[in-house]
Amino acid sequence: MNNQLTKKKIDSATILSAVIVVCLYVAVFIAEQLIAPTSMLFTVLKKGATYALVAVSMNLCNGFTGIFSLGQAGFMLLGAYTYGILTLPVAERVNVYQYYGGGLVQFTLPWFVAMLLGGLVAALFAFLIGLPVLRLKSDYLAIATLGFAEIIRAIFQWDKLGPITNGSNMLRLFPNFNDFNIRGADGQVTVYLSTLVPLLIAGACIGIIVMLINSTFGRALKAIRDDEIAAEAMGIRLASHKRLAFCISSFFAGIGGAMLAMYQSTVQAKGFTTAMTYEILLIVVIGGIGSVTGSCISSFLFVAASEWWLRFLDQKQMIGGFEVPLLRNGFRLVVFSIIIMIVVLFFRQGIMGTRELPDLFRGRRKAKGGAKS
Amino acid sequence: MSAEIKRPANGNAECVLHIDHLTMRFGGVVAVDDLTMDINRGEIVALIGPNGAGKTTAFNAVTGVYTPTSGWVSLNGQDITGKRPDEITKLGIARTFQNIRLFSSMTVFDNVLTARHLRRTSNFLTATFRLNLAEEKKMRQETEQLLREVGLFELRNEKATSLPYGKQRLLEIARALSTQPKLLLLDEPAAGMNPQETEELGEFIKQIKEKFDLTVFLIEHHMNLVMGISDRIYVIDFGKQIAMGTPAEVQENPAVIAAYLGVDEDEAAEAPADARPEARDGNEEVSPE
Amino acid sequence: MWNTVFPYVLSGISVGGQYALIAIGYTMVYGILRLINFAHGDVFMVAGIVMVYMAASGMPLWLCIPLVLVATALVGFIIERVAYKPLRSAPRMSAMISAIGVSYTLQNLVLYITGGLNQLYPTIPWISDSVTIFGATTKMVTIVTPVLTVILVVALVMLINHTKIGMAMRAVSRDFETSQLMGIKINSVISATFVIGTFLAGVASLLYFTNYTTVIQTSGAMPGLKAFVAAVFGGIGSIPGAVVGAFIIGIAENIIKGLDIILFKAGIISGPMGLATFSDAFTFALLIVILAVKPTGLFGEKTTDKV
Repeated sequence: MNNQLTKKKIDSATILSAVIVVCLYVAVFIAEQLIAPTSMLFTVLKKGATYALVAVSMNLCNGFTGIFSLGQAGFMLLGAYTYGILTLPVAERVNVYQYYGGGLVQFTLPWFVAMLLGGLVAALFAFLIGLPVLRLKSDYLAIATLGFAEIIRAIFQWDKLGPITNGSNMLRLFPNFNDFNIRGADGQVTVYLSTLVPLLIAGACIGIIVMLINSTFGRALKAIRDDEIAAEAMGIRLASHKRLAFCISSFFAGIGGAMLAMYQSTVQAKGFTTAMTYEILLIVVIGGIGSVTGSCISSFLFVAASEWWLRFLDQKQMIGGFEVPLLRNGFRLVVFSIIIMIVVLFFRQGIMGTRELPDLFRGRRKAKGGAKS
Repeated sequence: MSAEIKRPANGNAECVLHIDHLTMRFGGVVAVDDLTMDINRGEIVALIGPNGAGKTTAFNAVTGVYTPTSGWVSLNGQDITGKRPDEITKLGIARTFQNIRLFSSMTVFDNVLTARHLRRTSNFLTATFRLNLAEEKKMRQETEQLLREVGLFELRNEKATSLPYGKQRLLEIARALSTQPKLLLLDEPAAGMNPQETEELGEFIKQIKEKFDLTVFLIEHHMNLVMGISDRIYVIDFGKQIAMGTPAEVQENPAVIAAYLGVDEDEAAEAPADARPEARDGNEEVSPE
Repeated sequence: MWNTVFPYVLSGISVGGQYALIAIGYTMVYGILRLINFAHGDVFMVAGIVMVYMAASGMPLWLCIPLVLVATALVGFIIERVAYKPLRSAPRMSAMISAIGVSYTLQNLVLYITGGLNQLYPTIPWISDSVTIFGATTKMVTIVTPVLTVILVVALVMLINHTKIGMAMRAVSRDFETSQLMGIKINSVISATFVIGTFLAGVASLLYFTNYTTVIQTSGAMPGLKAFVAAVFGGIGSIPGAVVGAFIIGIAENIIKGLDIILFKAGIISGPMGLATFSDAFTFALLIVILAVKPTGLFGEKTTDKV
């Protein structure tokens, strides 16, 4: 118990956690070279990485700062469109913007620049919408941000903006995850990276969020969540700190949106619905509001369950000549909903509560030490 | 600022807090009525009065939670009327709360450390990318030092809300001290404490006053504590000042005795907090319709 | 000019009335529990689905209609008991998340039952008939809705002002804890609130789906959100506010739907602007503006946090 507090010590639990994460990355890299790229595993990992980033960014706002924002889909849309519009090869623009004479934008940016800009555009909108909205109380704020996402969705489908957004038509043919694979001279893939790179992008972004959370600003945000009045009385300026959390959260939601665009290979405004925000919120809740690790685990579980493991619930199954009752299209989502309601009602802590990965190892050790003494 | 020229402090260079004809009105209710006070450097000044007299409202008006309806407040000669609570804290007024408001998810250590945030020089980028390590280290050292001084160091890794009640009150004070105030406002620091704890608290307040070169302004119902540590006492009732003076003077004041419903002051002092007559209970916090 | 605008105003009043009936459920629940019942719009949709299935089972319509209303109220009652009551002492965010969970569950349940296909709403005689007023042809429901809305709102206000349960509701919405201490049975008051709110949403579904003729699992989301905006616009907790807000939103959104044609005929624009895209967005823009300018809405009361 006498460890020095003056310097936050990097303890063995943290190192162990880091080792686990690195091992996972190595495992993914190896798996990608060995297993056929069409495997469901990679779909889950790619989409899971995207959702993990978006869920963590939502958690920064909703879980760590106590700003109940439901604008996530809107910020993702901004990121996805910025990415799609700016990376589309000039040669393809005539085909994609077929109703708008090839569109207005006639240049192409590298993917990472466009992705970064996607985040910045989302953050800029967050700043603007935050001016009126962040002064509101929890539930009003929720509905106002939700409304904002709907407005954005309508604007991007507006025909008059077609030369930029392609109206209500799909954006496509921009670089996607598969373009991360390294190809030999014959066009054959020599090194598969289409899963590893998205995981690395998400990992890096989440890492930055974690570093923010563990900094003095992160403490200030948690203080605001715990008690706004006390936080303000301790000299924490509410407006600027909330705005900071909101903009950073939106920035990463924008990056997540760009990743989603890459995952889907297409972008269409009508897909970024309130239902998408709800889904991400439920991921955050299942993982534990206020736990980055929880959001990540829950994202992969959620995606794996919905895309892979629970797929069988949507098909008729025969066991020994009997048709299993209830199984048909849509049953998976019903089962899902029930699980979610059980978590919401009876396991409000979610998978992780507010604990993080290193805490799991610390907790066990502490218990052992307690038993000895 | 022109406002400062128009509103000098009372001319006394030793005056830390000057409250000038402060009025706080909520709809038809006047919670604080034309209150004028001076608190000098190094003093411990108490504000007492029956429940609902407007004490906490006065605190809230000083700390910026409410904007005064009229009148003004200055700190070391600088006008702070209408400033935000965080600005006022930055200028050197820290406070505790009557109903404890600790950061419930944090440890004792982090509660105190978080209150150092306002003295940072880093911005969110330098903090995120750990370019502020020296400052962070200093903040942690100072927090550790502070916790040792107030005697909470052993409990530093406990969750704030898991502490016993008396320790939570102590932590509230430690957290307030962590903002490096010149003036400390204590809102019923002894509420819910037993006589022995109350006595220790009195000693503690005197100690920290000396150690941190503070001026203390407190609201309290425990008369033993108030009479024991205060240099001067202001008594208000219905938001109006009815008496001011040294503890001895106030105790003799017939208006004060009358305000406490005719209860003999010694009895009032002797009685435990929750056994006192609660004349207009529930009016302490007046919220507008 | 008026001839162009009038049909839109007319359908705006009609939709506004339907939003009003939904909005009352939001505003009453918020008044008492301080909870945005995100599932309310989906209960409205479920009422539509129940009607579809009841009518399909061959039950006569005169029996279906009251049964749908009872079933809807029952759904509201059950949702409150299962999903909100256990969270009464939990932080507000938990209850709100639970409401979102219920919304998600109801939509998925209906998706499963219907297979995700549009369900044709049964034709209710008389109110589906066409009428022509002031040169505009419309369904009878367009005229029935505002009349019925006003009657129901007046009845509701009388219930709240002149009955024992109404008095209890007012007391609970003013001060939850104190009314509990005064011996008011909180749980029955809350249940009654949900029953009334969902009953009115059921009425709204009869009118709304008669107009729009099909129901799908997502049918409730948009009307629900708009009704909520109406409740906020009018000042949440205030029933007259919700009704006024709903009519304003209904009319505004329908005028925007026809804005291209209106502006074109007025000679202001020369070609289509695609402004109809913004009929939904307008509602939310209005919401953000009202929240920024007057967060308590038109008729709302101000509250202050205690320190």
